[in-house]
Amino acid sequence: MDISYNWLRDLTEITLAPRDLADRLTMAGLAVDAVHEKGGDHVLEFDLTSNRPDCLSNLGIAREAAALTGAGLKLPDLTVKNVGGRAEQFTAVEIEDADLCPRYAARVVRGVKIQPSPDWLVERLQAIGQRPINNVADITNFVLHELGQPLHAFDLAKLSEFRIVVRRARAGEKLKTLDGVERELDEQMLVIADAVRAVAVAGVMGGEETEISGGTTDVLVESAYFDPQSVRRTSKRLGLQTEASYRFERGVDYEGVRRAQDRCVALICELAGGTATEDAVDVYPTRITPPTVRLRPRRVEELSGLSVPAEESGRILRSLGFEPAEGDVQNGELSFGVPTWRTDVKIEEDLVEEVARVYGYDKIGEALPPSPVTGEYLLGDRRRRAARQVLTAAGFNEAVSISFIEESSGVNESGESRFEPVPGLQKVEGEGAFVVLSNPIIEGARLMRPSLLPGLLEATRHNFNHGTRDVRLFETGRVFAARAASGDEDESRPSEVEAFALLVTGEALEEGKAAGRAADFFDLKGGLEAAADAMRVGELEFEPASVRHLREGQSARVRLGGQEIGHAGRLSEELAARYKFRQPVYVAEVNLTALLATGERPARYTPLPRFPGVARDVSLVADRRVTFGEMRRAILSLGIEECRGVALVDVYEGASMPEGKRSLTLRVEYRADERTLRDEEVDAMHARVVSALEGEFGAQLRG
Amino acid sequence: MSSEAVDYDAQIASVREAFEREFERFARFRAYEGTEGLSLDEAEALSREVKELATRHTAKKSAVSQLMKLVGRVPAEERARFGQLVQQVDKEIRGALGDVGVALAGRIQLLKTERERVDVTLPGRRPRRGHLHPITLLRQRIEDVFVSMGYAVEDGPEVETDFYNFTALNIPELHPARSPQDTFYTTDGLSLRSQTSTVQIHAMQRRRPPLRVVAPGRVFRRDTPDATHNPMFFQVEGLLVDRGINMGHLKGTLSEFVRRLFGPATRTRFRPSYFPFTEPSMEADYSCFKCGGAGCRLCKGSGWIELGGSGMVHPNVLRAVQIDPEEFSGFAFGLGIDRMCGLMYELDDIRLLFENDVRFLEQF
Repeated sequence: MDISYNWLRDLTEITLAPRDLADRLTMAGLAVDAVHEKGGDHVLEFDLTSNRPDCLSNLGIAREAAALTGAGLKLPDLTVKNVGGRAEQFTAVEIEDADLCPRYAARVVRGVKIQPSPDWLVERLQAIGQRPINNVADITNFVLHELGQPLHAFDLAKLSEFRIVVRRARAGEKLKTLDGVERELDEQMLVIADAVRAVAVAGVMGGEETEISGGTTDVLVESAYFDPQSVRRTSKRLGLQTEASYRFERGVDYEGVRRAQDRCVALICELAGGTATEDAVDVYPTRITPPTVRLRPRRVEELSGLSVPAEESGRILRSLGFEPAEGDVQNGELSFGVPTWRTDVKIEEDLVEEVARVYGYDKIGEALPPSPVTGEYLLGDRRRRAARQVLTAAGFNEAVSISFIEESSGVNESGESRFEPVPGLQKVEGEGAFVVLSNPIIEGARLMRPSLLPGLLEATRHNFNHGTRDVRLFETGRVFAARAASGDEDESRPSEVEAFALLVTGEALEEGKAAGRAADFFDLKGGLEAAADAMRVGELEFEPASVRHLREGQSARVRLGGQEIGHAGRLSEELAARYKFRQPVYVAEVNLTALLATGERPARYTPLPRFPGVARDVSLVADRRVTFGEMRRAILSLGIEECRGVALVDVYEGASMPEGKRSLTLRVEYRADERTLRDEEVDAMHARVVSALEGEFGAQLRG
Repeated sequence: MSSEAVDYDAQIASVREAFEREFERFARFRAYEGTEGLSLDEAEALSREVKELATRHTAKKSAVSQLMKLVGRVPAEERARFGQLVQQVDKEIRGALGDVGVALAGRIQLLKTERERVDVTLPGRRPRRGHLHPITLLRQRIEDVFVSMGYAVEDGPEVETDFYNFTALNIPELHPARSPQDTFYTTDGLSLRSQTSTVQIHAMQRRRPPLRVVAPGRVFRRDTPDATHNPMFFQVEGLLVDRGINMGHLKGTLSEFVRRLFGPATRTRFRPSYFPFTEPSMEADYSCFKCGGAGCRLCKGSGWIELGGSGMVHPNVLRAVQIDPEEFSGFAFGLGIDRMCGLMYELDDIRLLFENDVRFLEQF
């Protein structure tokens, strides 16, 4: 909202320079964004909070300026020059829907002459960016900005039966508003009508047919108080925000209705001639009474930290228009009637704020609160941070994706999820239990992500499109699944699980090098293992398995301590085609909540070996589907106490291997705690290992 | 002079001559400069040959050694002179061979060094490093500051009920913030939290006062994405409830926070403001970290940057979680992490934060 400094000085004896005034007002909660100099005047650009509709006018700002500086307030002259006849002789007002219109006043001026406004009026309006139209229209606009009360002038002659009916619009009722647009109204919208039809959208905009024109001689000046919610809804529904609706929907001063009307009528008589009725038809069935709020002076200090004497608090509040009322004097309590324009003040804390902001927030001394409690991180945060560090060291960049995804990214044409959720997410309901937004802002993005993978795949596509082909990303964040409806709102909240996902594609690069080897499943697995290790959980187990969004033969379920917590593998061909990926992409996702819940593996000391160990290698040719994991488990489950570990030396799958076979070289370590093992003992143990592998997996010793 | 003495001299001369004949092809290597241009193979071959030559001319059976043995048999009056001459020849031969040996060894050393020279400017061997997201970096710093000030980090659901997102926060039934224009709703009638203030309520239900909590996290508002808006962003909420807490404590806390984040010279100012869940409310500004408050493009010339909204917890909010506002008071604040991130790194388009472009992420 723009305020002209010169205009402001018509209403207050303020002496502060424009910029100083702007600073003073800003520090009292009326934020001035900018001050512009404009032809001998200054325009103050306000950005007001929604609780202060009373300041959407010169009077409102003048009142604040006066309270802050002690300058006097000069209220405009309301004396009407030519008066004759009672309003009810010329018009009638009927409010059908008093819930939406608690007050409506109509006053008539007869015999006006419509012409351009005088220079001073044009100047005032132009200073704040308003376009002059004609004297009567300009006067209503002027008073709106002067006093904050929107007004409307009707051409009385064009009102059927010269009367006003305030009612809800009829179904299908139409009205051409002042901007020339034909608008369809609905039954919840309040309109101003005459005997037959709607002539204005209440509080929003007048109708074209009854507007003031060159031939107008008799004017009906409307001043009213409309229900803020109703005006907001109508304005929104019509997509029409006006100076009037902006003020009505925030709340105008219901006791200022007549004053603004009088001011308007006085100006019309002065500038357009004519005779005003001596009164108005003022329909105000239920008088609105402002609340009385108590103030215990100690509360000012208790809440603000400012020691303001009770008399000073009283003085500040009176300067803002609060009326001292009868209080519980014995307890030193004060009581104040809230001014009718201050619809935001309801409780004692509001009064404390009024006192504190006028007294000055800058006078509040700073102190740190005494510290009876200790700080703590979120459970598992140290481990999360460790995992992030390890992953960045391994070349993964951290991604943060928007929490909602396009429906088509998450669901296929048959309505099935494209991604298998992380274990533990969709417990209550099975497939398709998505959390869906009813009002997405990005076209199509209406699914709360059931998986982090669509976000990472989208990011990968973006990177490919921008020429980055080697991508390693990780992300942690919530994933969502709907739960069965329940009577208890809290229980029907969706399942939210913190997930952790990794993506690898392109080459495994070294710092400073432009080329490297092609990344594969084991880069993905290594990242996952490194993160798990940093979080100090047990060893992850990878088990070959089919997973919906992964490619058969290159996918695994991931378990931790026997519990399934996620999956990892190469993206399925179907999804790769959907994203137009022409290079392999490897993805993993685990339930981080579940992973962290397994507790931290403690560090425990075991004495260092006193006797040397012996390592023996064995190379075996076996079926390709026999896994290293199975062989390792088989060796360790032989129960050879001295067998300390099985490590991989090499995998050979070259052309010299028979179809479907490969060679694995394993290194088995043997060691006893109390003595050095003799060669013959190791030979015997190793022979058991080899024959077990041969027997169990049909493996052949490789020469 | 005896004829034998002449014989001795002749013998010495012939030994010298014999050596010099063989040594002739090595002579130019006595000085290091002579070896320049030799390849490593040549130098090594020559070195071997010189060693053989040395063996032949200095070993026990060498001609010089034979002369040495003669010394004793030389007449006494000649012996000293003869001895000296033999010594001299021996010294000359050893000297010559030694010089060549040193020169060749030097050449060999040099060539070997050259051959094994590494280009120390080639990249070191290490995996290409990844980078934490700028929001994580800032969020961790903010958490660290508040944890050190006694706050517990808290968390809450991102999909919320009306009670937590609005009602308990004193946002009335018909408030515009609740409208589907501003807030995301699910088809089940739940909403995406529109501010981390929801965690205030969860935290006060979990912990009773005295309490201090910070809650960083995602929030959602129906803003069309553009250079300065995203429909999702990150906030950090702070809440402290205790006996005898006033606005001075709030000012002190936020001032301490910005000093720890932006340096000890950072100043703050507080302006009255309005939020449904605080009363009195205030907006905090801090002096621009770029210009120090003089005014620059970053702070739009004002010298101040908005930190966020704050205030004393509204009594209705305390009552919603059964805390007596007459006994306890508290303050709350909400800071925008993305906004701060955008300013700190001078991002010209905030949408970059969620595009996950590797070229962007690698800058942090």
